[in-house]
Amino acid sequence: MAVSDLRGFIAALERSGDLVRIKREVDWDMEVGAISRRAYEKAGPALLFEKIKDYPPGYSILNGPVGTWRRVAVALGLPPETSVRQLYAAYEEKHERKLSPVTVDTAPCQEIVMAGPEVDVYQLPAPMVHDGDGGRYIGTWDIIVTRDPDTGWTNWGMYRFMIHTKNMLTGWPQATSQLAIMMKSKYLPRKQAMPVAVVIGCEPLCHMVATDPYKPGENEVEYAGGLRGEPVKLVRCKTQNLLVPADAEIVIEGEVLPDRIALEGPFGEYPGYRSGTMGEGVLVQITGITHRKNPILTLSTLGVPPDDSSIAASLTAAIAMKRGLRRRGVPVKDVYVPPEGVTHLIVVSVERGGSRVARQVLDFFTARRVMVSKVIVVDRDVDAFDMNQVVHAFATKCHPGRGIALEHYEGRGNALTPCYSAEERRRLKGTSAVFDATWPEDWEEEGVPIKSSFETTYPDWLKEKVLAHWESDGLGGRL
Amino acid sequence: MKREYVTFVRRLSSLDEGVQTLFIKDLTPGPRKYDTKLVRAQLAREPESLSQGDLLWIRSETGYLHPKAWGIRVLEELPPHVPGQPWQDVFASLKNLK
Repeated sequence: MAVSDLRGFIAALERSGDLVRIKREVDWDMEVGAISRRAYEKAGPALLFEKIKDYPPGYSILNGPVGTWRRVAVALGLPPETSVRQLYAAYEEKHERKLSPVTVDTAPCQEIVMAGPEVDVYQLPAPMVHDGDGGRYIGTWDIIVTRDPDTGWTNWGMYRFMIHTKNMLTGWPQATSQLAIMMKSKYLPRKQAMPVAVVIGCEPLCHMVATDPYKPGENEVEYAGGLRGEPVKLVRCKTQNLLVPADAEIVIEGEVLPDRIALEGPFGEYPGYRSGTMGEGVLVQITGITHRKNPILTLSTLGVPPDDSSIAASLTAAIAMKRGLRRRGVPVKDVYVPPEGVTHLIVVSVERGGSRVARQVLDFFTARRVMVSKVIVVDRDVDAFDMNQVVHAFATKCHPGRGIALEHYEGRGNALTPCYSAEERRRLKGTSAVFDATWPEDWEEEGVPIKSSFETTYPDWLKEKVLAHWESDGLGGRL
Repeated sequence: MKREYVTFVRRLSSLDEGVQTLFIKDLTPGPRKYDTKLVRAQLAREPESLSQGDLLWIRSETGYLHPKAWGIRVLEELPPHVPGQPWQDVFASLKNLK
């Protein structure tokens, strides 16, 4: 069973050797970010900064809860050495389980309460993550909770939020996000503010579920319970009619204002660039802040991969895509989202290929909100998780003239795609490409080039003989 | 001692001298550094040309820092928001302010 709160997860990371405590005083103004970024880029551990300049003893920042596959394994309650393929399989197996949450009256996340005029978000050590960001981002590894006023459906998402003033945040859920759709369809027509909670510092599975693209109407909290193997405890906010995870470290309660806006961004985002999305977000009036004693602020110092976003989304997005492709009748075998591709590049292996299947894949990825710009489709004999094999297939089997199909769109593209111009990003205009690295379906079997590999070129009796002598030939340990 | 602020613009060419309304962030060290204010302020390309002025650093929408600070003298602090619906362009709304 996975752990039930962030402190339990930190203890588990410490036991597995995947956490370092930074005990010297560090500055929230870029120093925490700089150390964290270098740690990601060196495949380093999660970092717990225990002494933050300007803040009381006991206030701390945890960077990179699931910034490596080892830490994802720990989060799932699996051995840290679990392979990526096994992690995908474990997540997929648990993915459909649901456990209803339980509601409690008292909660650790409400040990300290600020409300009304007492609200001062500067009492929390929100970092200036990168030099040149638009401000101090308190929401980088968060859960944003909103509620449909008609159906009561509660949505969890993960979006960036920045401190604007002591009692206001600005944020940038993309204009095509579920939060945006709820605000535009349910609250703006009534000229109402939308209650929102920015939840910080849960155990990581709750956050990972928030990154998972479940369909509207699906309760992420039930899936989080299923993944954890125990229900999530929820408590009602002090100033908003919203239920939030009771074991969170920090909850910022407020309202997305329907008629006022302020400057948001820019921010160094998950694709690994500060691509210039700025000034088109939302403004939140904070109505209350609750937190545990000695709160731990979770941080993801986003940038070039790997980091929590590219790792967590690799898993959650891939499983959702596989499910969606199957629903559309695509003969999908595996979907792999390589962290290096920051969800812009996807690998899909299929039981049978050809241009028709490749087109089906492209249609799936561009049907609605488009977050993916490049998809490589490979045959079933290519291990989608092995990028050496994928690149080989792409280089040799994707016909430069016939094997690339494009889909152009506007109003639903990914504004964070760095290769789009500023104008394209603003208009959510983009293009997605599928690279068909499968053999054409109409080629006769005798004409299909035969792959020259140990596995595919030699008869079984010879392969068995080679393997039987491998060790005595002095090649042991190299298998 | 001059105070220092930073503002963000889509393009440096979109920022004009004279009296302007803009969001600025206070760079005074301490736990409230980067606090945002909406102000009406006198701006000048040459900081020395503003008596009793402070320094305004300018960054583009990618966070690029222009190497030379402007001068700023804050005339009035306004409520820290402008009219507009979520996801609307805040710069367009700023332009429409009286």
